Amino acid sequence: MSEEQANAAPAEHPVAVSPWATGYWGPLDPEQHPAVLAVRERFPEAFVDAVNFRDEMTIRVERSRLRDVVEFLRDHPDLRYNLLTDVTAVDMVRLRTSPRFDIVVQLYSIPKRVRLRIKAGVDDGETVPSLVPLHAGANWLEREVYDMFGIVFEDHPDLRRILLADDWDEGHPLRKDYPLRGFREYVQPGFDAPAPRVRSRLRRP
Amino acid sequence: MVIDFSHPTPVEISEERQLTESRREMVLNMGPQHPSTHGVLRVLLTLDGEVITGCDPIIGYLHRGVEKLGESHRYAQFTPWTDRTDYVAAPSNNLGYVLAVEKLCGIQAPERAQYWRIIMAELTRIASHLVWLGTHALDIGALSPSLYCFREREMILDIFERFCGARLTTNMMEIGGFSRPLPPDLTDMVKTFVENFPAGQKDYETLLSKNPIWLSRTRGVGVVEPDVAINYGLTGACLRGSGVNYDVRKAQPYLLYDRIDFDVPLGSHGDVYDRYLVRMEEMRQSIRIITQCLEQVPTDGPMAANESNYVIPPHKNVLRTAEDMQRHFIWVIKGFSPPKGEVYMAIEHSKGELGYYIVSDGSPIPYRMRLRTPDFVNLQSLPYMAQGAMLADVVAMIGTIDIVLGSVDR
Repeated sequence: MSEEQANAAPAEHPVAVSPWATGYWGPLDPEQHPAVLAVRERFPEAFVDAVNFRDEMTIRVERSRLRDVVEFLRDHPDLRYNLLTDVTAVDMVRLRTSPRFDIVVQLYSIPKRVRLRIKAGVDDGETVPSLVPLHAGANWLEREVYDMFGIVFEDHPDLRRILLADDWDEGHPLRKDYPLRGFREYVQPGFDAPAPRVRSRLRRP
Repeated sequence: MVIDFSHPTPVEISEERQLTESRREMVLNMGPQHPSTHGVLRVLLTLDGEVITGCDPIIGYLHRGVEKLGESHRYAQFTPWTDRTDYVAAPSNNLGYVLAVEKLCGIQAPERAQYWRIIMAELTRIASHLVWLGTHALDIGALSPSLYCFREREMILDIFERFCGARLTTNMMEIGGFSRPLPPDLTDMVKTFVENFPAGQKDYETLLSKNPIWLSRTRGVGVVEPDVAINYGLTGACLRGSGVNYDVRKAQPYLLYDRIDFDVPLGSHGDVYDRYLVRMEEMRQSIRIITQCLEQVPTDGPMAANESNYVIPPHKNVLRTAEDMQRHFIWVIKGFSPPKGEVYMAIEHSKGELGYYIVSDGSPIPYRMRLRTPDFVNLQSLPYMAQGAMLADVVAMIGTIDIVLGSVDR
């Protein structure tokens, strides 16, 4: 894909086709998407699949090569996904058996105006290569993932809890087996017994 | 467990932080109750005299688990929670969330509602920038701009109140459009504001833009180079102040921004003063956008999409027809089930790129609700800015990042 084509793509993308899809995510067909083709060619053993939903392209890769893939996409002269927008995780324990988590990396290319999502499955107890050597902005995002899911990032310079207290010993709240109101009963100062729990009407069907 | 407050816990100072004869650094704990940290931010500063050698922002004092709550509420129930993340720009948070859900469901708001969404989002941007300017100037030592800023902000809050009844946590937007009818005098209120605001903005500019004290406190302070800004993932005015042209409204237009003519202001030095200029110009551009929207918006037409599966039926029809009453009942009691899938929706919030990442498993409750708030990511650049700077400049740097701790901590 030449540079002129890539630059022209957002303007040609008609708004009427997908009005709710703000953002141009590249060609809708994974077989024609330049990032999919480049990653599949460069990392044939790490490439798992590419999925399109609502015009958003998701590439799934092996977790051990996650940093290499992000670095390749950042430095590729025709792709240049240089802005790391988000790093997060999803606990997939209710949807599948293994691997338990998905690491989700949202990328954006400022020169090409195209978004891309990279996913990597990781099981409980496994580690993920940190993206901090590539993007300094991944530092707090990965700390948050560690805080909320307990996923450990290799080579992270400062991996400790960020939103919860440093001495939080109740586990990781965004895991699906963590109850909404926590594990413990708390007694407020001045009260003898913990506040009664109200049964939630919200149930997952 | 009853907490005993009678015996204070002894404070242990680790070895590397103890003062010795050879090591004369001091650790200063700024916040979480410091008035210039805009809430409950705590910054652990290591000082060598007045020069900062280390800076560690500690956040989480306002953490309420919004993402966990989003995974236990139905889709329409979560909209009020988005107000509480960035509470000075609540309609923008609503907008990002409802656009994400609409994208997930594959529906679209009608044209008239989209124009009014733009108007409300731009009014929010001005209101948020006014709070930023007032508090930022107050931190640096200029008291008067905050009084003027809140004068104009009051007019915007009056418009919000007229439209939806609330001033701060508006819960204004609904999935599929607006559920409330438009008050007949709202257009006039917005027009009055648009006419009066430029004169008000001149007041703050005459107080600040060429003020020698303001210039010496902001020029060359907190410089972020363009490549560093991209590396830190900065968005919004923090990125554009460094000269990188990335505005979601222009780069990937959502709503009807592609029909509207406006400019994206860019800074050249990447310091506090440039980010100030960028935000001042953004307010002027917002006025331009609102003016064009008022000219283009249709005066008549539906305000909500006619999608019986996902959108709450109009209140009038609920009282009139049995079908809509049943739909309303089901919508409120059971919610709606979007298709399985995942979407990431980004909008240009007043502070940067606000993204909602939703994973749906086909049930009425989101499987994963992720809020990518701009100021959480932007705040990471504070240690970079503060390295080697003077202690008094830290308040200017915290102010220029434009943080709201409800949005940082979620």
